[in-house]
Amino acid sequence: MLKGLFLMAEAAEELPSVLGIFIQSVFVQFILVLAFLGIVYMMIQRARAGLPVPEIRKIPGLDALDEAVGRATEMGRPVHITPGLGTVGAAETLAFYALLGHVAKLTAKYDTRLIQTNRNYLIYPIAEEIIRQAYLEAGRPDAFNADDVMWLSDWQWSYTAAVMGIFRAERPAANIMFGYFYAESMVLAEIGNQVGAIQVAGTTSTAQLPFFVAGCDYTLIGEEIYAASAYVSKEPVLTGTVVGQDWGKVFVFAMILVGTVIANFSETNIIKDILNGVW
Amino acid sequence: MRKELPMFIGVLAGLAVIFDRYFVLGRNLGLTATLDDWSVVMDGMMFAVGFINLTRLHYLNVKRRRAGFIYSIVLLVTMYGYLALALYETVDGPNATFIFDNVFRTMGSTMYGMIAFFIASAAYRAFRVRTREATLMLVAAVLVMIGKAPVGDALVAGWDPLAEWILNVINTGGMKGILLGAYLGAFATALRVLLGLERAHLGGAAK
Repeated sequence: MLKGLFLMAEAAEELPSVLGIFIQSVFVQFILVLAFLGIVYMMIQRARAGLPVPEIRKIPGLDALDEAVGRATEMGRPVHITPGLGTVGAAETLAFYALLGHVAKLTAKYDTRLIQTNRNYLIYPIAEEIIRQAYLEAGRPDAFNADDVMWLSDWQWSYTAAVMGIFRAERPAANIMFGYFYAESMVLAEIGNQVGAIQVAGTTSTAQLPFFVAGCDYTLIGEEIYAASAYVSKEPVLTGTVVGQDWGKVFVFAMILVGTVIANFSETNIIKDILNGVW
Repeated sequence: MRKELPMFIGVLAGLAVIFDRYFVLGRNLGLTATLDDWSVVMDGMMFAVGFINLTRLHYLNVKRRRAGFIYSIVLLVTMYGYLALALYETVDGPNATFIFDNVFRTMGSTMYGMIAFFIASAAYRAFRVRTREATLMLVAAVLVMIGKAPVGDALVAGWDPLAEWILNVINTGGMKGILLGAYLGAFATALRVLLGLERAHLGGAAK
């Protein structure tokens, strides 16, 4: 098979390249990726060596998770958590997995029922395993109920209608929505309000953020959800990656400033040309 | 091995995508396209797992006569009935298409229509002059809503351009700032998975 692949490669079209190895149009992007990787790796090594790493600032939404689960425990009502409509490998869903493990450990510890609903059938078995493992690590494998982890539907509004039905029947006291959402965000937030649930939401979807801000008690905006795994675990290595990410932001801001100045004095977009390998 | 093997497969797949994206040989080998084909096969298998779980969940609801078990009966009859119909005359068959277009799509549109009412109730709660931020949001919302309606420009000339300016400059600027951070965050998250630091999706705490 490998020989066949290489034969196919030899017969393929020639791409403009750098040194015959790297594709020219994305070569500068590759250098930037390596640079970013270097910064992150440096921060990880710094954390592993026990050197001080900047802390993540307070994120009220993540601090509120304990409060939300505690409230549900006191009221004797379940906690509902959902990753929204994201795909299984999306970055938002990866952030959700970290949060799910944390919330599952809390519910196992407080003996609170956790209802986890999924729109994506690929996420469902992963979520079930994460919750099962969390209950096992919390010493409560008997409390895990596989029936409370469910795949409802692959269709947006069928899923939303099913969640609305679950909310009416089970009346969760806490609703945690973490991931990528579309128009159903407003409906989910409102139905949570109608049953009196405390709501913590986080998404990178800029179109849905206003609905969450209006409808939820706490909202994590954009990149805050990616800091969730580092924030809840307090692992220095993970915090190091978040610091590396912030340095990447500094670099991008610098590029924006330089690009803005150049754009005002030049007719050509030099930075865009360099990034696209046009030289 | 239960966590190491999936992590190893994930790292390998990530490296294959990077190789395809940045290297001439990788692009010519078409590794990403091959991975896409494999993922389609896995999608089908996982759909079956979800289908079986859904059946089991609602069957147990019916068997144990839980509250609302009637709806579980409706779901099971609808699900398997439509499956049988689609197998008999294919998904593009006349009856299957009729049910999809006239029942399913209609119900989806109904759900979509409910958003307007939910927005109204959320706005009633959120747009109150309690804090500086809430007041600012209220003022901006009123300016944009009236500006985008025909009555805005009829009342005060230049209202629509003001609303456009709020949307195109302030709103778009804020959105792009959020997106910038989100993309970098997604990159860092993917990097953590590639380096084997992020293990939450494997059922364990992050390393």
